[in-house]
Amino acid sequence: MLKTRLAGALALTTLAMPLAFTAPAASAAPVEISFARFFGACEGDYGTSTDVPAARGECGIITTLINKFNADNKGEIVVKPQIMEWNTYYDQLTARIVGHDVPTVAVMHMAQLGDYVNRKVVLPLNDLFKEAGIDAGDFTDAATNGVTVNGKIYALPWDTHSWLWHYNVGLMKKAGLTDADGNPVVPKSLDELKAQAKKFKEATGKPLIAISTTQDVAGPARNFYTLLYQQGGTVFPDGPDGDANFSSPEAKKALQVWADLYKDGDLTPALDYEGATAGFINGNAGVYICGTWLIDSYMEAAAKKDTGLSDGYYVTAFPTLLGKPAIWADGHSWVLLKGGLNDDNKAATLKFLKYLYDNNLQWARTGHLSIRKSVIDSAAFQDLPFRKNIKIISEVARTLPAGTPRQFGIQQIVGEEFDNVMLTGKSVDDALADMQGRVNELVSAAR
Amino acid sequence: MAFADLSRSRPVRAAGIARPSWSNLLFVLPFLLLYAGLLVYPLFQGMWMSLHDYDLLSGESEFLGLANFIKLFRNSIFLGTVRNTLWFVAMTTPAFVVLGLALALALNRASRTGAVLRFIFFGSSVLSVTIVTLVWRMVLRPDKGLIANVLEWFGLPPVPFLIDVHLALPSIAGVTVWWIVGLPMMLFLAALQQIPQEIYEAAKLDNAGWWRTLFSITLPSIKRTVILVAVIEIVLQFQLFGQAQIMTQGGPNNSSRPIVLFIYESGFRDWRLGYAAAAAQILFFLMLVAASLQLWLGRRRQGGEA
Repeated sequence: MLKTRLAGALALTTLAMPLAFTAPAASAAPVEISFARFFGACEGDYGTSTDVPAARGECGIITTLINKFNADNKGEIVVKPQIMEWNTYYDQLTARIVGHDVPTVAVMHMAQLGDYVNRKVVLPLNDLFKEAGIDAGDFTDAATNGVTVNGKIYALPWDTHSWLWHYNVGLMKKAGLTDADGNPVVPKSLDELKAQAKKFKEATGKPLIAISTTQDVAGPARNFYTLLYQQGGTVFPDGPDGDANFSSPEAKKALQVWADLYKDGDLTPALDYEGATAGFINGNAGVYICGTWLIDSYMEAAAKKDTGLSDGYYVTAFPTLLGKPAIWADGHSWVLLKGGLNDDNKAATLKFLKYLYDNNLQWARTGHLSIRKSVIDSAAFQDLPFRKNIKIISEVARTLPAGTPRQFGIQQIVGEEFDNVMLTGKSVDDALADMQGRVNELVSAAR
Repeated sequence: MAFADLSRSRPVRAAGIARPSWSNLLFVLPFLLLYAGLLVYPLFQGMWMSLHDYDLLSGESEFLGLANFIKLFRNSIFLGTVRNTLWFVAMTTPAFVVLGLALALALNRASRTGAVLRFIFFGSSVLSVTIVTLVWRMVLRPDKGLIANVLEWFGLPPVPFLIDVHLALPSIAGVTVWWIVGLPMMLFLAALQQIPQEIYEAAKLDNAGWWRTLFSITLPSIKRTVILVAVIEIVLQFQLFGQAQIMTQGGPNNSSRPIVLFIYESGFRDWRLGYAAAAAQILFFLMLVAASLQLWLGRRRQGGEA
């Protein structure tokens, strides 16, 4: 009985094999492009939607952009998103590269690019851009610097993102902190901010500023960097190959300002990123310090009834509190990894990159700054809400020195020590000393 | 003739016993190959790697000798993770033994209630670490967390379980015990059901009380299982990772970072595979010592009583 079944199964397999080999050739399967990204998953809202202009937020816009590309190229190209959690994205991407399971196109922060390029796993794109019809001359200076390593371009820039103050206009008005136009009064100095915080607390019983200090290292590090840069300070005074220095008076002041605000009850206590982001919609503070990517989502929340933002939303670039204007910035970009591109998918991949380049304005609707000069100068971009308030970023954006290795590892250490000062009462001096020791230990081991 | 045949066959049989038949090796070969390929080789490769500066992404390596170990013993973050891990094992292992046994004793009955409660207590063990920790984060968070809301109802301030240096690791320990106390409970239940009922009946006839029965019959009968549970839990809890990564990311101030999280961060975030492998060797050594000590103590006690 068993023998008969086995023989039958074998016969079926033998019959099916030629079919299996001939089937794809007969129907010319579309070229598949695997597309590794974060930005969240939102199939529930945008599963099959191709209406890009109607999409909101990072996830909605990138999802509909891909849906549209797939619909326009039906039968020829199919882009398959591989969505990962951003916290562990680079760990997973690295593991995939080492395991030779390489996506065709992958998102990468400009701050991370140098480490991957130095290990020769990212393809240079200068020639491929020419082939695809992408004009690198149209990239903004910030974008060009962000994707250029040793004179070659290694990524298609996608945005410049930076650090903003998102305002709850209703609460600011209640505290008497709005101007004649009904917009929040943006502080021009630290003293003015402290006076505002006092007034805000008396009127609303809430802290003026929401920041995340728990389970989040990126936001805290950006807060620290911004105040450091505003004083003209730097972490690597001797350039990317030198030692890190966190013992400067500027570094001390940058951390001390946040510690004092926290101690005085002017910062929300103990919120993680999700708690702070959602809490702001519920009206937990007058200002939420976070990134460009939230503008569109908060405008959507403000347009709804019965949210904490229903009485108005406003946003501006991180104000200059110490010295001169300077704000932390980074950028998203798309890279082609070695092993992901081959003769079969090259044309389709270049077509896809060109499509992303052409649709950069759509992505800029999230709140990020466009990476194309022509888009930034266009009426369509300038008509987007609040863009006048954040346009300054392209002039005052600051990053760690180009070529600094392990920038996300450094961010992890700076953010952790920042949180320690807020949450555990660790002294500013101890935290800075630990930042210095830990960062130098990390970069000394980097090649 | 028959006698001669018999005498001839004897030496043949004797030789068969004395000389090992190598063809028998074929039966264990599949296991041996897997064991050597998946356990022995990686173990020694890890040891070899720990002596190198090995970059995860480029694959380049350079022989360093013991430099990685020297660096680790000078790294206050790593020393903190060793302290945290030992403290975590010290908190959880006794809890697993005592609570697992207590639950098993309470639920070792044939009633329907016993079966339902056994199912409930074991139920949490089938959940993944992600689900358990996300649920508990919602319970423990000081803003709008379940416990914070209950405390607020009584007019009390919220307790910052996961962001206080003294509470973060004990909170993770509590969640871990809640999560997987079902396994030791099941092991103890299996052991309890092996004890012959006659002994309990005899004890009853002798008017032995509950405590007396517990200490003179039950515990001595399941001593081996107690040792088994303790060793299993020591080995498991030394490998704390997911709960700490999701609930606290090792914070605040390194108070809840276990060795495995340090290994993960060094290897995958910082791409320092040799350094991570060196930390893994130290973890391996600690686990070996702790589990051996527990086994040795168990055997010594058994030997003393025999």
